[in-house]
Amino acid sequence: MTEAEKAQKIEALRAKRQELETLLKQTDNAKKRDRIIAKIETTEEKIKKVRTGQRFTRQEKRDMVAYSFIAPNFIGFAVFTLGPIIFAFVLAFMKWDGNSPIEFAGLNNFVEMFANDRFKASFVNTIVYCIATVPLTLICALGLAVLLNQKIKGRNFFRTVGFFPYVASLVAVAAVWNMLFSPQKSGPINMILYNLGVAANDLPKWAADPNWVMFTIVLFSVWKNMGYYMVIYLAGLQGINAELYEAASLDGCNSWQRFRYITWPQLQPTTFFVTIILTINCFKVYDIVYMLAGGSNGIVNTSAMVMVYHIYEEAFRNWNLGYASAVAMVLFLMVLVITLIQFRGEKKYAN
Amino acid sequence: MKKRALSFMLAFTMVAAGLAGCSSSSGSSDTTAADTTAAGSEAADTTAAEESTGEKTTLKWSVWDISATPYYQLLVDAFEEKHPDVTVEMVDLGSTDYQTVLATELTGSGSDFDVVSIKDVPGYTTLVNKGVLEPLDSYIESSGVDLTQYKGIADQVRVDGQLYELPYINSFWVLFYNKDIFDAAGVEYPTNDMTFEEYDALARSLTVTTPGQEVYGAHYHTWRSAVQLFGVLDGEHTILDGNYDFLKPYYEMVINEQNDGVCQDYATLKTSGLHYSGAFAQGNVAMMNQGTWFFSTLIEKIKTGEYTECTNWGIVKYPHAEGVEPGSTLSQITSLAIPTSSDNKDLAWEFIQFLSGEEGAEIVASTGAIPAIMSDSVVDLISSTEGFPQDENSIEALNTSNLYLEMPVHAKSSEIETALNEAHDSIMTGSCTIDEGIAQMNEQVSAILAE
Repeated sequence: MTEAEKAQKIEALRAKRQELETLLKQTDNAKKRDRIIAKIETTEEKIKKVRTGQRFTRQEKRDMVAYSFIAPNFIGFAVFTLGPIIFAFVLAFMKWDGNSPIEFAGLNNFVEMFANDRFKASFVNTIVYCIATVPLTLICALGLAVLLNQKIKGRNFFRTVGFFPYVASLVAVAAVWNMLFSPQKSGPINMILYNLGVAANDLPKWAADPNWVMFTIVLFSVWKNMGYYMVIYLAGLQGINAELYEAASLDGCNSWQRFRYITWPQLQPTTFFVTIILTINCFKVYDIVYMLAGGSNGIVNTSAMVMVYHIYEEAFRNWNLGYASAVAMVLFLMVLVITLIQFRGEKKYAN
Repeated sequence: MKKRALSFMLAFTMVAAGLAGCSSSSGSSDTTAADTTAAGSEAADTTAAEESTGEKTTLKWSVWDISATPYYQLLVDAFEEKHPDVTVEMVDLGSTDYQTVLATELTGSGSDFDVVSIKDVPGYTTLVNKGVLEPLDSYIESSGVDLTQYKGIADQVRVDGQLYELPYINSFWVLFYNKDIFDAAGVEYPTNDMTFEEYDALARSLTVTTPGQEVYGAHYHTWRSAVQLFGVLDGEHTILDGNYDFLKPYYEMVINEQNDGVCQDYATLKTSGLHYSGAFAQGNVAMMNQGTWFFSTLIEKIKTGEYTECTNWGIVKYPHAEGVEPGSTLSQITSLAIPTSSDNKDLAWEFIQFLSGEEGAEIVASTGAIPAIMSDSVVDLISSTEGFPQDENSIEALNTSNLYLEMPVHAKSSEIETALNEAHDSIMTGSCTIDEGIAQMNEQVSAILAE
């Protein structure tokens, strides 16, 4: 760039700044003023850049450093998560088997979905599973956390025991679980029930029994996951100011009152976090169902069908990728709505 | 306002990220596939390195369970000997979800397989529907392959008059029995000509229900084919009929056996995931219907001393309905096909022709497995395998009269399979009566067929 060109450019930018400044004087709206000031600042920067002949301003350099730190994670996210999510949105309105040309299907996938028995069953089962699992896990985790927050002997040992199911391999513990809950009369749990006076023919067949299979799955899931949420609650409990308990004991509170008026309200943000994560995880449930109720061929009955399993089955067994994406959209919307409701509820308790 | 938008964004990302986790299960199967691919190609590389003379063409062949299947390497060696300029590279995709992984591999256009093994008919129709397999008719015609040698099986896997696969392994169902149990009970061995009534009576006569010393007269694995498909052996009915009332007597027989302790409880087998080989190896199962693929496991495990309770075994032909020729049984074929994306189709065809032909059949038979072509020399080869029972009935049982595919070819076979499995499960766990279960099949399969 020659000196003359430079001068010309600076002149043009100055004129622009002048223009913006007069505009600023004329406006009284605070928001608009802010915007104009920001524009003036960028023009200022541009003038500086032309004058010094640098390629980037200091601010731009700083921005680039920041972006370069985000990039490795974001590129991975964009390629492996964001891209497929957007593609799934599009596919929900298409008919595709992975090889043949993609055909536009409009809302057919959604129409088909609500006529499909397996979808209806999976929809109901997923909701039942969530309604049963979320509060139960929450209560168990909180109870364990409160117990193990006290100064008892072997506290660390019991904390480890509580956390163990969460780290143990799902495949292994599911096999043990199915052995304990063997449908035979000689299965350990059924033996106990039998000795408690349940008639031999009324013994539940647990995972092989359409009326009990969801119960078995919920029970397993609560046992397996409560350790994780217990740890989160323990962290929350450590964060409660001890002075509050001191003041309460001076006022003569009993332990229930201490829990009800100090612990529970102080744990509100933790509970909020746990509920959201639990709900999302419940909607995602798939592996537990597959392991407990899948049988030898991995085909799950309508009595234990959940939405993610239905998606898998339609996508990779029957190759209805469009239909499967449509079901995924429904699942997505359900989780989104519930999360939004929870966020709204959270505002009440905010700090 | 801004805060609300922010919280919405936050909720959105949380949900999206949360749900993104869903895909991890399918992702992991990809990694295992990739791992085995790497392992497979490594093995192939070492063999290739031994004689690296000139330009070699590599055929990539998808298989499952390389380590448990002795004939793969023998077939590859024999073919490479005939074609010194060709290397065959096997890729193990694992057996449990082989068809799902294969279909995923062939989805899109990135696959470089030249020959693929096909494990079952629903998986085959899925691939044909996806249009990823090359029709073989023109190859068959130009090479003059005689399809009658496959005993009608090749015709059963035509889709709209076109053939996309050629069988090379043909496993069929027989009745395995434990001779020690019969000897101990002083009961005559089963024969190659039994009706279902005789079979049921025989199973009951061997049963001991005393706790602690149970003997089960019969054993049915949890697959629907182990019970449901007794019904299609009369040649009059098929599993695609849409009306399944003909299955009732067979379900009644098995449910009654289950209630009387003649066979183990389906629900228990299902939840414990007991494998049929484990059940038979415990030595308290007198008779078990199972496919001939069980031969090699049984022979191998007895040889290594792992199975000690069932060393004295034999086979007989499947029981049959009144008035039906003995030797009618179910067949499960393993076939070979060429993906449309292959670069070496002619060479791939030669490989398929070799494996499905006489030479391939003899190599397969020499390991005790059953090839798709059954000739006298093949029967001799199988029965002379070390560890194969030497009584006359067991050898005679290898001669089948009519073969019916476990699942005939149909565009919707995958959906029908699911519906039939579900009803089978409900009946066997006792969560619905036999009539209700059959009504459920009638209704659901008719609905699928009508689509």
